Order: sequence, then structure tokens, then C-alpha cells
Amino acid sequence: MRSELLITLPALNEANNLSEVLGALRVSWPEAVLLVVDDASTDATAAVARSHGALVATLPFRLGYGGGVQAGIKYGLRHGFPIVVTFDADGQHDPLDIGPLVEAVRGGADLAIGSRVLASESYRGGFARQWGRSLFAGLARGLTGLRITDPTSGLKALGPRGQALFALSRFPDRYPDADALVLARRARLTITERPARMRPSRNRRSMHGGLGAVAYVFNMLFSLFVATTGRDLHRKE
Amino acid sequence: MPTRQIVVFLALVLILFVAILELARRRVLRVEYSWLWIASCLTTVLFILRYDLLVKLTDFVGGVVPTSVLFFLCILYLALLCLHYSIRISALTHQVKDLAQEVALLRLGLENADTAPLDAPGPRLE
Ligand SMILES: Nc1nc2c(ncn2[C@@H]2O[C@H](COP(=O)(O)OP(=O)(O)OP(=O)(O)O)[C@@H](O)[C@H]2O)c(=O)[nH]1
Ligand SMILES: [Mg+2]
Repeated sequence: MRSELLITLPALNEANNLSEVLGALRVSWPEAVLLVVDDASTDATAAVARSHGALVATLPFRLGYGGGVQAGIKYGLRHGFPIVVTFDADGQHDPLDIGPLVEAVRGGADLAIGSRVLASESYRGGFARQWGRSLFAGLARGLTGLRITDPTSGLKALGPRGQALFALSRFPDRYPDADALVLARRARLTITERPARMRPSRNRRSMHGGLGAVAYVFNMLFSLFVATTGRDLHRKE
Repeated sequence: MPTRQIVVFLALVLILFVAILELARRRVLRVEYSWLWIASCLTTVLFILRYDLLVKLTDFVGGVVPTSVLFFLCILYLALLCLHYSIRISALTHQVKDLAQEVALLRLGLENADTAPLDAPGPRLE
């Protein structure tokens, strides 16, 4: 039987979390293909993933979150998966939240985002993050007219058209954010959101924080400008 | 310009020029970059030999001191060069990212060529 669902997990040094995450995914989605994109981890991430029957794509050096997610999406696109789901490898996402996203894509959406905000009004994750999220969600809404509450969410489902956009070489490859939404809108994709719970982070290292947050805001503002006014991503140099 | 200065600077430019030719010959420097450096050398030689041209240029742009105009042009030139490199690096960053992803996916395809799990769509020959 050929599976229609690919679940891809970007992972950087997640050997400690992967057993649980892959185990839970297997139980909820027995027919799905699981692909762990190992971002040149220095721990046993790849071995743990293989021992749980997941496919493992190991990057030769570190590309960061966006590059890892994109590698997984490229795999899905090339192998003709009608639905690709991106899922955090650190155990913060709930496998059951994949269901509504998959349904949304089956129902015609090109991009379905699991929103932490829709799931709980009290979702926080720190003052700066909250502030940043509402800033960019607001900007994205202004620019696209879409009511998307959580553009940075790592839990997404993509149909073929969504996959094709996210796999483009020049698609923003740092952290997909409001700029990705703007691009998706410009590509006339159908975008929707479903609630998704986010377990509290047990994390020692988080992707955004500190001075990086300031740089992030500037990068994102500029990236939004480029996404909105820039040349078509398909155009060759 | 005093002859001594002319000789010293011409010698420096000559050394740079020979170094560039040699780097290009050893294929350390790509041809499309070497012409840029050769053009820089020739411009420098021109201004060393024909200081009056620099004075004319200064008058033309409304400058007061020829040396300031020269420095300004040098800085502008270097800034443009940096911009050019940033553009190249941006393009290379995309290419390197795509290649790294390609390597990861090809490796995955090879590993699974013989031991593909039943439900996994095997790598498709294109
Ligand atoms: N490929 C890749 N994946 C990463 C990188 N950093 C984090 N990840 C993965 O991205 C997912 C989310 O990363 P987190 O660091 O937990 O980000 P977050 O959930 O936004 O932040 P926390 O609230 O701190 O958990 C996990 O599956 C990580 O393994 C990276 O540099 N490269
Ligand atoms: Mg996390």
C-alpha cells in the first residue's frame, strides 16, 4: 500500500525526545511515512530515528530549522505525497492535532497551519515571543487579508501546491514566518488554520531568544518587505 | 608627482599585477574576477602617470583636494566590491543549501534502495 501521508520532523540533537515522539506518531498514524531530517546532529538522533523505523535524511552540515524542514518537504514533493506534515521532534506537538490539518488539505487547502493561539487563548511562550507573534500576525493580516493567528507554528500540513512553493530554492529558509504567508498568498494558495496544542517546552535551548530576538524582528520586517514587493520566486536569475 | 613616488608606486602595482596573473594561471582566481583586478591596476597606473587627469577629475566633480577625491573613489570602489561579493555569497548560500539537501535525499535514496519498508514509496528513477 502506498501511503498518502508523509510526516517530516526537523531534528537537531533530539535523540532524547525522538523515541517518545516517533512512538506516539506510529500509534496515531500507523500508515504514515515518518521522515526525520537530521541536521548534522552530534548525538544519536539518526540511530534512534532508524531504530523506530523512520526514514532518516542526514544533512552533511547544519542548515538550521528552515533548511531542514525544506529538505523534508522536497522529499514529499518528489515522491508524490498528496500531504506532507511538518512536526517538531522535541515532543511539543500532539499527534492528534495532525488529523484536522490533514482533513483541511484533503478538503482543498494547500497549506493548513496548526495554531497554538486558536488552541488556547492563554498560549504565551514568553512576553517577547507573544509580542513578536502578534506583531507579525497583525502585519501578515494587513498584507494578506488572512486571519492567521500563528504563522510561526512548526506544525503544518501541505498539499502539493504548498509543497511546491515551500521547496523553491529562494523560499525563506530561516524560520518560516509571516513572510511565508505573504508568499503563499501571492502564489494564490488556499491557507487555513486549525487549533493545535503546544506542550510547554522542556527545552534547554530555544531557537529564538536574547539579542537574537532583536535581529529576528528586523530580519522579519525586511523579509516581509521583500516577500510583499519582491520578484516572483520562480523567476530565474 | 616626484619621480621617487612614481617609481615606488609603479613597482607596487607591478607586483600586484604579476600576483594576479599568477593566481589566474594557477587557477586560484577565476578569470571573471581577474579582469576586475587587472582593471583596478590599470586605473591606478593611469593616475600615477597622469596626475593631471586626477586634477581634472577633481575639478569636474567640484572637489577641492585631488587626494580626497582619490580616497573617496577608492572607498566607493571597495564598497561596491563588497556589495558584489554579498550578492555572490547570497547566491552561493542558496546553492550550498540546495546541494546539502540533495546530498541528504540522495543518501536516503541509496540506503533505502534495497531495504525499502513496505509502505514507503521507493525512490523513483527519474
Ligand atoms: N533542522 C533543524 N532543526 C532544528 C534546529 N533547531 C531546532 N530544530 C528542530 O525544530 C523543532 C523545534 O525546535 P525548538 O528549538 O523546540 O523550537 P521551538 O519549539 O520554537 O522553541 P521551544 O519553545 O524552546 O521548544 C525541533 O524538532 C528541533 O529539533 C536546527 O538548527 N536545524
Ligand atoms: Mg520546541
